[in-house]
Amino acid sequence: MRLLLCAWLGCAVSLCAADSKNPLGNGPQVVEAGRTVYNQTCTVCHGVDGDAGDRAPALGAARRYAHNTEEDIFNVVLNGIPGTQMPSMGLSEEDAWRITAWIRSLRAVAADFPPDGDVAAGEKVFWGKGECGRCHRINGRGGLLGPDLSNLGGGMRLSAIRESLTVPKPHVPLGFRPATVVTKDGRTIRGVLKNEHNFSIQMLGDDDRLHLLTSDEIASIERGETSLMPTDYDKRLSETEFRDLVAFLSRLTKRAAASE
Amino acid sequence: MARLLIALFAVAAALSAQVSFEDLKNPDPEDWLTYGRTYDSQRHTPLSEITPENVKDLQAAWIYPIPSTPRQQAVPIVVDGVMYVSAMNEVHAIDARTGRNIWTWRRTPAVNRGPERGVCVLGDRVYVSTPDAHLVALDARTGSEIWASKIAETKDGYYSPSATFAIDGKIIAGVAAGDYGLNGWLDAYDAETGERLWRWYTIPRPGEPNHDSWEGDSWKTGGGGTWLTGSYDPELNLLYWGIGNPAPDFDGDDREGDNLYTESVVALDADTGELKWYFQFTPHDVHDWDSVEIPILVDAEYKGKMRKLLTHADRNGFYYVLDRETGEFLHGTPFIDKLNWASGLTEKGRPIRVPGVEPTPQGNFVCPSTSGATNWMSPAYNPATGLFYLAVKEGCGVSYKAKQEFRPGGFGYMGTGYVESPEEPWQMWVRALDLTTGERKWEYKQITSKQYGAGVVSTATKLLFAADDQGFLTALHAETGEPLWHFNTGMRISASPISYGVKGKQYVAVTAGVNIVSFRLPD
Repeated sequence: MRLLLCAWLGCAVSLCAADSKNPLGNGPQVVEAGRTVYNQTCTVCHGVDGDAGDRAPALGAARRYAHNTEEDIFNVVLNGIPGTQMPSMGLSEEDAWRITAWIRSLRAVAADFPPDGDVAAGEKVFWGKGECGRCHRINGRGGLLGPDLSNLGGGMRLSAIRESLTVPKPHVPLGFRPATVVTKDGRTIRGVLKNEHNFSIQMLGDDDRLHLLTSDEIASIERGETSLMPTDYDKRLSETEFRDLVAFLSRLTKRAAASE
Repeated sequence: MARLLIALFAVAAALSAQVSFEDLKNPDPEDWLTYGRTYDSQRHTPLSEITPENVKDLQAAWIYPIPSTPRQQAVPIVVDGVMYVSAMNEVHAIDARTGRNIWTWRRTPAVNRGPERGVCVLGDRVYVSTPDAHLVALDARTGSEIWASKIAETKDGYYSPSATFAIDGKIIAGVAAGDYGLNGWLDAYDAETGERLWRWYTIPRPGEPNHDSWEGDSWKTGGGGTWLTGSYDPELNLLYWGIGNPAPDFDGDDREGDNLYTESVVALDADTGELKWYFQFTPHDVHDWDSVEIPILVDAEYKGKMRKLLTHADRNGFYYVLDRETGEFLHGTPFIDKLNWASGLTEKGRPIRVPGVEPTPQGNFVCPSTSGATNWMSPAYNPATGLFYLAVKEGCGVSYKAKQEFRPGGFGYMGTGYVESPEEPWQMWVRALDLTTGERKWEYKQITSKQYGAGVVSTATKLLFAADDQGFLTALHAETGEPLWHFNTGMRISASPISYGVKGKQYVAVTAGVNIVSFRLPD
């Protein structure tokens, strides 16, 4: 019932379930209002939109020591941090809650604050023009070489989803590094390295089979330096298609199943 | 009759005194008596049963679990077939041939602060420093507690993770934690009674030399932990110990100055604790580059003259050669490829800083990262190859800073922190350096390994055993770095391996995760 209520209100399941104390709620309008107040008040030190500032931490950064509770954030926004350069800005409690909602949205996963878009159209892009399903799997359907995206929106921030579609990563994460291996018995295997060490590799081939080889079985190994993941989706898709794809991806979550 | 009994007891007492100061100076080849095996911390065994030719046959002899302590960092001590190893609030005595428990001592009430880095032995006693900042003497045969001396107040936040260090009649113990803004010191205790004999403070107090290397009152929360262990030269009677970072770690704005004796190696008179000399590797550090890394002592020819050398690979990425009689800087060179914070060293060994790599509120790129080019994992030296071996971390970090108020009682006072650089991720290597020039002779990439902690051990047969965070213990040829044997222990290795012998049989042992694993050749 609580789940249904949350869904009806259009707010994020996790925030409702966490018994948010924000009297204004954490809906998109509150978040957007918080962003406005934030950019009028906090940017001198913390930077525009929570990006890098000159005098204080970037609040949107994915830093391991930057995971505070909603109440902690509210208290700091309202009262500052005594003994530091973080002052009380003389904000009303309502504006402090709006800023709190905005800061939390910076750190929230995509499903907490999913963006607008035609989700059904985004799903068609995923399986069609975007060819995402060739490598990625959602709830048992799709390819194997890339990460399973069934809970993408429940585990990744919206900004990170957009980045993964548009910004090349400097290094390919372990488990998805492309490689071509030639074995001493003459086979050529293309795929991704799930794991490796000096003495063995564990590889998933483009034949969707695991290939487990020790170093004395390998004639040569060529490791790709770039990911198989295209990062030009903002160019290969139209603006509308890209928006719809992000809207679809942001709503991929296992939460409902877990709640049941 | 009474006289006979007294005589028998006297003989028994003499026989039970297992480890003398003379033994510590010249250990039996089969024993591993100190953290680095010998006072010079060379981590080199004279045992020769395991060779490059037969190491392929090495096999696990036994596994001893210590479930209470994941990611063990302690280095075992081995005396006449008995292995002593500390874990969090515990010491275990183990039959080093079979892996069977002899006794276990547990500190109560237990305090969960660590890690533990090892025990020392002297006479018939085992000495351990504890998470509740005590030095405890145990009977080596039974584990029964003989005395416990308080090193520091736990209510202040102190604990004692360092490996204890035994010299002539004294036990040396250090403290943590500089990261809490707690000032460090080094203590010497009477091995017999537990009475404290001297204390040397790592941060000079008002009126002491170099107190002015701290701005204002910043010395009061300056840090400077002594959290690993040291080396010792019996001829000079000097104790060499690396000192930890200044606090707050990442924000140096309110502690202008060199911040002595943080990030230094110090030479102390072992009888008095008097400072004889110091050498600071990173003046006014703002990257938490503790200089606790083990100094290796070698008598070797340097520029045509025999010198008493102290060699040290620092967390800041430079390899140093010092004269250990005087502390004179002789040579220094980077042992990593990615180093951007200094363009070199001056003639005196002081780093030539590159401006603009200090931590900032928005994060700043620095190489090496705070986790360091190396860390507590021990290096080794093989006199036969003349090479200094060490575990190296290449890669960079992003360091942040923010204002922070000191809170007494043991709370983080780091002035914020760091993350791995996405552009220059971490990669572990084993490297062999020429002892006096630091020139790289060979290197071995530990594929997929990026977390530090596992050191190396050298053998007389020109083997080097290295380990990694993937759980592999690997035997490398000490002259080429060629891998000759490996074993997957299944758990992350965060400690340095040792080699010991029992009744003519050579073993190689390492703590891997919660397990101690010991290897030997088949009979």
